[in-house]
Amino acid sequence: MIPAMLDLFAYDFMQRSLLAAAIVGALCSLMGVFVVLRGLAFVGAGTSHAAFAGVALGYLVGWPPLLLAIVFGIATVWITGWLEERGRMKLDVSIGILYTTTMALAIVFIGLMKTYNPEVYGYLFGSVLSVTGEEVLLIGGLAVLELGLLALFWKELLFIAFDQEMAEASGVPARGIFFLLLTLIALTVVVALKTVGAILVFAMILIPASTAYQLTHSLTTLTLYSVIIGTTTAVTGVIVSTVWDIPSGPSIVLLATAVFFLSLLISPKRLKQPLGSRHP
Amino acid sequence: MTSPQDSKENASRPAIIRFDHAWFGFPGVVALEDISLSIHAGEFIGVIGPNGSGKTTLCRAVLGLLSPLKGQLHIFDCACEELRCHHRAQIGYLPQKGVVDRDFPVTVLETVMMGRYGALGLFRRPGPEDRRIALESLALVAMERYRDVALGSLSGGQQQRVFIARALAQQPKVLLLDEPTTGLDLPMQHNVLDLIQHLHKTLRLTVLLITHDINMIRSRVDRLVLLKTRLYAQGPPADVLKPDILEQVYGRGLIFSDRDLVFVEDYHHSH
Repeated sequence: MIPAMLDLFAYDFMQRSLLAAAIVGALCSLMGVFVVLRGLAFVGAGTSHAAFAGVALGYLVGWPPLLLAIVFGIATVWITGWLEERGRMKLDVSIGILYTTTMALAIVFIGLMKTYNPEVYGYLFGSVLSVTGEEVLLIGGLAVLELGLLALFWKELLFIAFDQEMAEASGVPARGIFFLLLTLIALTVVVALKTVGAILVFAMILIPASTAYQLTHSLTTLTLYSVIIGTTTAVTGVIVSTVWDIPSGPSIVLLATAVFFLSLLISPKRLKQPLGSRHP
Repeated sequence: MTSPQDSKENASRPAIIRFDHAWFGFPGVVALEDISLSIHAGEFIGVIGPNGSGKTTLCRAVLGLLSPLKGQLHIFDCACEELRCHHRAQIGYLPQKGVVDRDFPVTVLETVMMGRYGALGLFRRPGPEDRRIALESLALVAMERYRDVALGSLSGGQQQRVFIARALAQQPKVLLLDEPTTGLDLPMQHNVLDLIQHLHKTLRLTVLLITHDINMIRSRVDRLVLLKTRLYAQGPPADVLKPDILEQVYGRGLIFSDRDLVFVEDYHHSH
């Protein structure tokens, strides 16, 4: 079995898939740290469906699908953020409405297509094994852009995740940084769309960071663990899916979920602290 | 509490925060009306009032997070609408307990370092000087030995000290504290207020302390500001804490005086 696996790595498609999975796994798990800490889980889930509507429209009108995915994703998170900021609507309510609306749009766009298009369904369910060289370049380019922005605004992103109002009161341009965070979430969703699909993409953002959260009280360690778990489960998931001939997206997500439940069992946070164990 | 001589000196200084017939609120709701109040450098002011009296709205206004609907608010000689990030960094803020997720995965030192972020501005990373200031701030609140400890593992009183250190790391001119003793046991309440009083004296900080607990602060502050949507009274505690004035705000029959203590039956006081 192992020689057969090693043979697989010689194929171009396999190398591309593993590279795409590693990039997506690392990036999603890094963004996941802010999503988990800022409590934006549902925003990401909604964004992935909005981005899929963009993909469907792209295939319908013959425009670049990922470009429209970016437009739809960013528009959705900005509208959501704006509504919350104005106090008009809670974040989960507005994203719930946009989530279902954009999914309805996606179904309409697919219905308007004259013929069955398997590539659209690739973005819905994920097909990392069919990722092309150009797509790897695009994913890599977007990932570099995001990593650059994360590095530039790391301390501000951390502060607004901790407490946005306190950050603003301390002189950090918190509103702008919050919208930057929403934009980065939308871009991450688009980067990962082809790999695991719109339905499962958010698991790649949410699960590694949630797993790491169980294991440490330190932000640096949490970030490191999250990236290691995200990258490892993404790459391993692709290998498992190829060897056992199962879809790659679900393979990655199920593997990450198994690691999450394992983390719950060994989490030091779950172990009951005896009374008085806190610092006096 | 500063001496009468110091109080006179403080009052003669120019106001660093000035409300001039300012109204605050939200569409259809007026939270504060016609507030005229000057806060001078070096003063220790207590803001009191029942629940829903607009104390936190006043706090948000001082932080520059709310603009007046009518009237004017000047902070550091700057109209609050024109307040820039570096002005905000001069106000160290301790939010109410419960606003912040205190199980957030950060160490004590990482929390205090956040106090440097506003002053640093965008694109600049904290350096050794910022770390030195953060460690000094921790020393001021006697928490330096906990610098590498997870914030969530500390007791409530210790967490308050860390948040005060975070505010001090901004090297602020004003310390704004919103209900700093809520949720703490009695000895810890005195402990935190003693610390605030000590910082006010040693660092010559202007302190604006919002609280429901009149008796805890009456002997510590220079001035009390009594709010219930509008400003009912301001002045030395002895001038404000009079039955006829308090009755206007807390209602008749809810005030009991015993050995100079004031008991008010509102939500916070009934525990």
